[in-house]
Amino acid sequence: MALLRLENVTKRFGGLTAVDHVSFEIDHGEAIGIVGPNGSGKTTLFNLISGVYLPDEGRVFFEGRDITRLPPYVRARLGIGRTFQIPRPFSSATVRENVAIGALFGTQSPSVEEALGIADHYLQMVGLWGFRHKSAGALTPVEKKMMEIARALAMKPKLLLLDESMAGMPPKEIDAMVQFLRKIKEEEGIAIVSMVEHIMRAVVGLAHRVIVMHQGKKFIEAPTAEALNDPRVIEIYLGRKEEHAPRQSP
Amino acid sequence: MHRYVPLIPVYLLYGALFVIGSQVSGMWQPMALLAFYAALGQAFNIFMGMTGYVDFGYVAFLALGSYGMALAISSFAESLGAGVIVAGLLLALGMATVLALAVGAIALRLRGAYFAIATIGVNEGVRYLIEGARLWGGSEGIIISRPLREAFGPEGANLLSTFWADTLVYLIAMLAAFITVQYLHSKIGYALMALREDEDAAKVMGVHTTKYKIIAFITSAALGGLLGATGWVLKLTYVFPADVFAVHYTVEAIVIVLLGGAGTLLGPLAGGMIYAALKYWLSISFPGLQLLLLAPIILFIVVAFPQGLIGVLKAKAKGTFWERVIV
Repeated sequence: MALLRLENVTKRFGGLTAVDHVSFEIDHGEAIGIVGPNGSGKTTLFNLISGVYLPDEGRVFFEGRDITRLPPYVRARLGIGRTFQIPRPFSSATVRENVAIGALFGTQSPSVEEALGIADHYLQMVGLWGFRHKSAGALTPVEKKMMEIARALAMKPKLLLLDESMAGMPPKEIDAMVQFLRKIKEEEGIAIVSMVEHIMRAVVGLAHRVIVMHQGKKFIEAPTAEALNDPRVIEIYLGRKEEHAPRQSP
Repeated sequence: MHRYVPLIPVYLLYGALFVIGSQVSGMWQPMALLAFYAALGQAFNIFMGMTGYVDFGYVAFLALGSYGMALAISSFAESLGAGVIVAGLLLALGMATVLALAVGAIALRLRGAYFAIATIGVNEGVRYLIEGARLWGGSEGIIISRPLREAFGPEGANLLSTFWADTLVYLIAMLAAFITVQYLHSKIGYALMALREDEDAAKVMGVHTTKYKIIAFITSAALGGLLGATGWVLKLTYVFPADVFAVHYTVEAIVIVLLGGAGTLLGPLAGGMIYAALKYWLSISFPGLQLLLLAPIILFIVVAFPQGLIGVLKAKAKGTFWERVIV
């Protein structure tokens, strides 16, 4: 049984169909990438999986259970953790408290003390332990993204949705993060969906399979290297090479 | 045990007010006024301070609590004797809680300003229901001085309204502080902090936001009901709808929380005491002009300390010894 299955999921905003009959599956412990240019429907897709939006058509299944209409907090408890493209820290709280919130309300029900311990564990893993008593609003954007990954992992999810989590990081840090996520995936058996617009480096080392989104539709689903080298994919990013029309003399 | 350390200054302050009030002649009433506003701030802070939602109908909970006590005394004073006070407190608690559940279940689904607008109507609505339907004496209210005299004797009734009513306010204030500390260090406090900062992100993190908002709302309402039952009805021995549904108490509660620092333990205590002291002193020194003078003072404090007095101190105390005390 697939961990997550989307069946013909569609979301419209007025006249715009942001996600158009998209179907795919992810297995337990699998890592996939979702790529596509700006406006291709990636973030809407994430919002449909995590429950921020409800789809107009289609259904979403998690571990065989129909979660199409479930509110976000129930999905979080079932094991769907996510980060945000624009980080959303609980700014006035400390970094440690932020991550502890993930632990407290995720799939497990630890005590506050245990949750703070879990927070310390993941802060050490992402390298933010030194900042644990700093208020989360004072972190740099990249640090906020790392904190969001720690916060989502502290939920002990079965599925981790990363929304542009490595954007803005220097290549060396992206490689380190990819290594870390691979380790997490193997050790804790967490399935990962990493969504990126441009930073293919964040997908190549992590995902075996890539889904390319284009204008709300699933454009291509293929093994990573194959998908990223497909001329049609290059075309949706860069546009078609056109012959110049001959100049006409007046 | 560390979590209870911040309660020490709180209880010392209330203890000091009580001792000054009972030892220095003529100070009992002013000290009781300080304690009442501090308690009002603490009770309101559990909802407004911790969730970031502003409830413009808050005084309705104090009003219903007042009715709870007045109804208990007017109906059961003869049969229950002194136990009627306990019955009155329970009825006050129950009535405030039922109203909070009804309002909360509907209005707490709304966000921010929409919630505030929805609650403005609650206070007026309940008041006109009581007056229009001639419920519980309608606009004439309930006067409990006679049943009190009959149940407790003239001296007992006098002691009840001049001493025990205010003493109960001190106890409710201390209870509110205890609950605040308890919430701040539990799952509830973390949930409320998360939803105050970013409600959508909190939901995605697994926080059942509506549930926790309702918990805070009911707690705050129940404490408000107890305050109305003691600080108003037992003290004044009557309840009139026009007096208890007065919206300016809600505004005062908001000012107190902002003045001291929303979401902190010491904030509403400091805010309540400063507000009550200023109000009392200005009304004696400049009778008739007190509100005119109070407004710019409050404006100045709120502009100078946007996080409230304790909010500013708390930020300064970070990383020092005082961090553990100023919460």
